[in-house]
Amino acid sequence: MVTRMQRPDSRPLARALIGVVLLVGCSLAAEGQPRTPPTGPRTGTLVIAGDVDKPLTLTPEQVKMLPRASVTIEEDGRPVKYDGVLMGELLKMAGAPVGQNMRGNAVSSYVLATGNDGYSAVFSIAELDPVFTRSQIIVADSADGKALFDYQGPFRIIAPQDTRAARSVRMLEKIELVRVKK
Amino acid sequence: VRRLLIVALMLAAPAAYIGAAAEAPRFRTWKVPATFPLPQVPADNPLTESKVELGRRLFYDTRMSGNGTQSCATCHQQQHAFADSRAVGLGSTGEKHTRGPMSLVNVAYTSFLTWANPHMTRLEDQALVPMYGDHPVELGLDTGDRWLSRLSTEPRYARLFTDAYGTPDITRDRVVKAIASFERSIVSARSPYDRYHFDRDEQAVSASAKRGEVLFHSRALSCFQCHGGVNFSSAMTSEPRVRMDPEFPNTGLYNLAGALSYPAEDAGVYQITHNPRDIGRFKPPTLRNVAVTAPYMHDGSAATLEEVIDHYAAGGRTIATGPHAGIGHDNPNKSDALHGFTLTADQRADVIEFLRSLTDDALLTDPDFANPWPP
Repeated sequence: MVTRMQRPDSRPLARALIGVVLLVGCSLAAEGQPRTPPTGPRTGTLVIAGDVDKPLTLTPEQVKMLPRASVTIEEDGRPVKYDGVLMGELLKMAGAPVGQNMRGNAVSSYVLATGNDGYSAVFSIAELDPVFTRSQIIVADSADGKALFDYQGPFRIIAPQDTRAARSVRMLEKIELVRVKK
Repeated sequence: VRRLLIVALMLAAPAAYIGAAAEAPRFRTWKVPATFPLPQVPADNPLTESKVELGRRLFYDTRMSGNGTQSCATCHQQQHAFADSRAVGLGSTGEKHTRGPMSLVNVAYTSFLTWANPHMTRLEDQALVPMYGDHPVELGLDTGDRWLSRLSTEPRYARLFTDAYGTPDITRDRVVKAIASFERSIVSARSPYDRYHFDRDEQAVSASAKRGEVLFHSRALSCFQCHGGVNFSSAMTSEPRVRMDPEFPNTGLYNLAGALSYPAEDAGVYQITHNPRDIGRFKPPTLRNVAVTAPYMHDGSAATLEEVIDHYAAGGRTIATGPHAGIGHDNPNKSDALHGFTLTADQRADVIEFLRSLTDDALLTDPDFANPWPP
């Protein structure tokens, strides 16, 4: 009985762990192998997908119409003001469990952000939700009032509290919600 | 003995650097865009026009070598972005260096000087090495400083030293500070890349260079990991007190048999630390003006940019025969960042076009940095 009660909870976790192991395994297998940069045209759009109620594909123009947020970070010894949209706002639009819905198992969800070149970074959903944190992690589409350069944009994550830019995914194309526990 | 003297001179030098950006001396001839960071300048050697001008005279003066045949400019030539076209440096007595002269352009933004010395952070200290060093002999100046009297025979110096320091006295400390000041003034920020990035001139660089920039920053190539930032080097410093500590990566250039996988004459940071983990580790130099600083790598062993790209694409260099034979890809100290990549011929050309967009032609011919002595 106890085992049965545990199973419904542990299965998704076990699946997630297996997924992580497989991902790590694939990643390790790929280490040391030559990498190939993408050659095709870039989508120029931003997809919010994964375990969300309303997957979205947004153009740069559509993103411009959303509630705006700004953060200023230091780059090469000078302040740079990035404008864009809170990642939490984008997740909310897609029906992710943010705001008042951020409770229970939802807190164990995470977001995988991936750029055109395959580079990706993970954020816990809690650090993206304005109701939950003072951190303002944004999807930026301009720097100091100007469009991002090709190697950065059209979208780039800015996590102003990070002391290294490793999660500042450039050429961002996909934000994917993963619910570890449902 | 000379080495001990150089170390003693370095230790004696004050290490204080100025603090807040607001206090930074605004050298009026910094030729940088408004949004470009300013270099750090040591508090004990503030930058002045008169000191820079004196430094330029000394930089190009062959009386700065023991036998009067060389000056700093012999190995740091303006047309080569203050590097030179030799694979390795050649001293005033004919002795070969184990490394190629590094570009002095934007050296004021460089947090660690030379190819592989994590302790060398001040130009005032570094200048003593080519002046007095004997392994190898470069300028070959005598440690008793009899060479200072040679400088006093030049009538212009009385006025130049007075303008710079208030009195005409010629001392080693004054000479070193003036040369360091001139070197700090050599700033490159007027390349096509800069016009594209800082002036937003979309026509300044070609579509190929823009594609190359994307590749340069892509996960596949990850060039930016060691050559990032406005100076394209992870060994970067600027106001206000920004200092990036470089990894000093081993790039798999060699993999000789035996414990020392690099040529014994130069195993990188290992020469300083004698830690086996530091074998083959060198600083990532700036890539600004890289198109005019061939040959490449610390020992000039790569002749062209194409050769360099192919080396990194292979994740290390394979040398089939000879005393340096080995598969660099398998060097046990090789950086994890060197994973190798595949490029089409067009993509390879795009990356090189991007690198060429970093050439600051104005700097290469700027009269402010040219030889002031009559021919």
